[in-house]
Amino acid sequence: MLKVAQPDRPDALTWVFLGLGLLLLPVGLYLALSAPPDVNQGYLARIMYLHVPGAWLGYLAFFVTFLYSLLYLFRQDPRHDRVALASAEIGLVFMGLALVTGMLWARPTWGVYWTWEPRLTTTAILFAVYVGYFLLRGAIEDPELRRKAAAAVGILGFINVPISYMSVKWWRSLHQTQSIDLTTGKIHMDPAMLQALLFNLFVFTLLYLGFVRFRSLLAALEARKEEA
Amino acid sequence: MLLRLQGISKRFGRDWVLRDLSFTLERGEVVALLGPNGSGKTTLLRLMAGLLKPTRGQVERAGKALFLANPPAFHRHLTAREHLLYDLAFHHQGKEPEEALDRFGLPGDLPLYAFSSGMKKRLALARLTLLFPDIWLLDEPETALDKGGRELLLSTLAEARKKAGVVLATHDRTLAERVADRTLELGVA
Amino acid sequence: MKLPVEGWPEAAGQGRVGVVRRVVLLALRDLRLEVRDRAGLLSILAFFAVMLFIMALALGPEEEPLRRAAPGVLWVALAFGSTLLSTRAFALEVEEGTLDDLLLAPGGKEWIYFGKLLFQMLLLLPLAALALLMAAGLFYLPLERLFLLFLTLVLGVLGYASVATFYAGLLARLRGREVLLPLLLFSLVVPVVLASVRATTGLAEGLPVAEISDWWQLLLVFDVVYLTASALLFPVVMEG
Repeated sequence: MLKVAQPDRPDALTWVFLGLGLLLLPVGLYLALSAPPDVNQGYLARIMYLHVPGAWLGYLAFFVTFLYSLLYLFRQDPRHDRVALASAEIGLVFMGLALVTGMLWARPTWGVYWTWEPRLTTTAILFAVYVGYFLLRGAIEDPELRRKAAAAVGILGFINVPISYMSVKWWRSLHQTQSIDLTTGKIHMDPAMLQALLFNLFVFTLLYLGFVRFRSLLAALEARKEEA
Repeated sequence: MLLRLQGISKRFGRDWVLRDLSFTLERGEVVALLGPNGSGKTTLLRLMAGLLKPTRGQVERAGKALFLANPPAFHRHLTAREHLLYDLAFHHQGKEPEEALDRFGLPGDLPLYAFSSGMKKRLALARLTLLFPDIWLLDEPETALDKGGRELLLSTLAEARKKAGVVLATHDRTLAERVADRTLELGVA
Repeated sequence: MKLPVEGWPEAAGQGRVGVVRRVVLLALRDLRLEVRDRAGLLSILAFFAVMLFIMALALGPEEEPLRRAAPGVLWVALAFGSTLLSTRAFALEVEEGTLDDLLLAPGGKEWIYFGKLLFQMLLLLPLAALALLMAAGLFYLPLERLFLLFLTLVLGVLGYASVATFYAGLLARLRGREVLLPLLLFSLVVPVVLASVRATTGLAEGLPVAEISDWWQLLLVFDVVYLTASALLFPVVMEG
C-alpha cells in the first residue's frame, strides 16, 4: 500500500487516506473525551488515546523504514529509499508525540517525568537513532551514497531494538532500588474505552498511510528538481 | 574489449561534469585524454576505475583496473619497499619489489615523507609495473618527472601497451602525440 | 547488494588463507603507521588518563563510592576513548588519499572492514587493559578474577569496535564526521555499555559466574549480530 508511482500530484488513494484521516480525527477526539474515565486514574487515562496510537505507529513507521531500507539495498531503486525516508520522518513525529504524552502522564502518575523502564529506554534510543539518520542524510551530498548510508543506519538501528530491550530489562531487574513499575499504570479497560482507543488507532493509521504517500511524493519531486 | 563505457553521464550536485559519453578501450591501445582544467578528465578516469558510479550509463570492465592519482597517494610513514610489499600482498601477488626499485632509481629504505614529488611519481610507476593491471588509468603521469623520469614513463607505457590498455589524462600534447594511438578530447560541459 | 562481476585472475586462485593474511597484514600495517605517527595515539592516551583522573577526583576521596563507581567509569572512559580511536581507523587513509587504492584491491571489500576492525581491537585491547589497571589503582576495583574481567573486556570492546569501524568507514569521506560518529554510535552501543558494566560489577562484587553469564551471552549476541550486519553492509556503502 506504500508503493507510489511517481506522478506530479498525489493520487486518489493518498487523498482518501489523508481526507478520511483528517475527517475522522475530531470523531476520535470526541470518542476519547466521551469515554468513561478510568477507575484508578480518572481523566488522566485519556492521554492514552494519543499516547498508544503514537507509540504504535512510531514503531510501525520505523519498521517500515527498516524494510524499505533493506529493499533499497537489494533493488537499488530510489523509490524504496523515498518511502524509507518518508516513514522515518513521520515515525519521528509520532514517536515524539508518544514520548511527550508519556512524560506528561508519568509525572502525575509516578511522580517523575522519566524512568529507566525498558520500553521507555528502548524508545528513546530508537528516537536518537533516527535523529542521527536525518543528520547523516543532511551531511551527504552525493544522492546515491546518501541513500545507501541512510539505509545502513535504518537497518542497524532497527535490529538494535530487541537487544536494547533485553539489556535494559535485565539491567533494571538487578537494580532493586527502582520503585516505579509500568504495572502501577495499568488501566482497567471499559469496552467504550477500548472502542475509542481502537478507533483512534485506526484514524492514526490512516493519517500515517496518507502522510507517507504524500511525503514520498514530495521526496520524488525534490529529487526531480535536484536532477533538473 | 577491455573497457566499455556506454552513455556515461556524471553529475556532482547540480552540475553535469560529463554528458552522454561512450568509449571503448582495447588491449594494446594507449588513449590520451585531453581537455582543459575542469573538463572532467579525472572524473572520467575514476569512473573507469569504478571509484565513482556514473549518474547514468554503464561501465564494463573485463580485467583489473588501477588508477594513478595526481599527485599519487602514499602513506608517508612507510618506506618505499614496505609500501610496495604491502601493496603486493593486498593484491595477492608474491613478487619482489627490489628490481622495480632499482629500475626506477628509488631508495627502498627511505620513508616516503622524505620523498620529493618526482620520486613519488616514480614510485607510483614502479607500483603499477609490479601490480600490472589490465587497465592502466593514469592522471597526468608526466607531471613532476625529470628527464630520466620521463624516459622511465615512456618505457613503462611501451611495456603496458604490450599486454594491457592505457588511458592517460594529460596536458602535454607532445607526450600525447608520441605515445597515444588515439586521443579523446573533453570540452567543458 | 551486487558483487562486482569481474574478479581478478589472481584473486580467483586465492583461498581462505589469502584473505586472512590480507586482513592481518592490513591491521599490522595500520598499527605500524599509528606507532610511527605517534601524535594521534599519544593524545588519545593522555586524554584517557586525564579523564580517569578527573572522574576519580570528582567521585572521591572515600573508597566506597569510588569502588561502586569503578565499573561505570571504566566503561564510560572506554566508550569515549574508543570513539576517538575509531576515527583513526580511516583517518589516515583519508588524509593521505590512499582509500582508493584499498578499494581497488581485488576481490570483495569485506576484508577491509575486517582488517580495520582487527586494527581497532589491537589498539583498544591494550587501552582497555590500561583502563583496567587504572580503575584498580584509582577506583579500588578488585582484580582477583582477572581472566573473567578480561573476557568481559574482549566481548564488550568487540561489540563496540564492530559498530564503530563500520560507521567510521561510512563517514570517512564526509565533513563533520567527528560529531556524527559519536551520535550514531552511542545510541547503538547502549546494550554493550549496560551489559559490560553489569558483568564488571558482578565480577567485582564476587557474584558466581552463573549469575553473570547472561550478560556475556547478551554481549556475544550483540557481537555476532553487528559483526555480521556490518560485514554485509560495508561493501555496499563503500562502493561508488
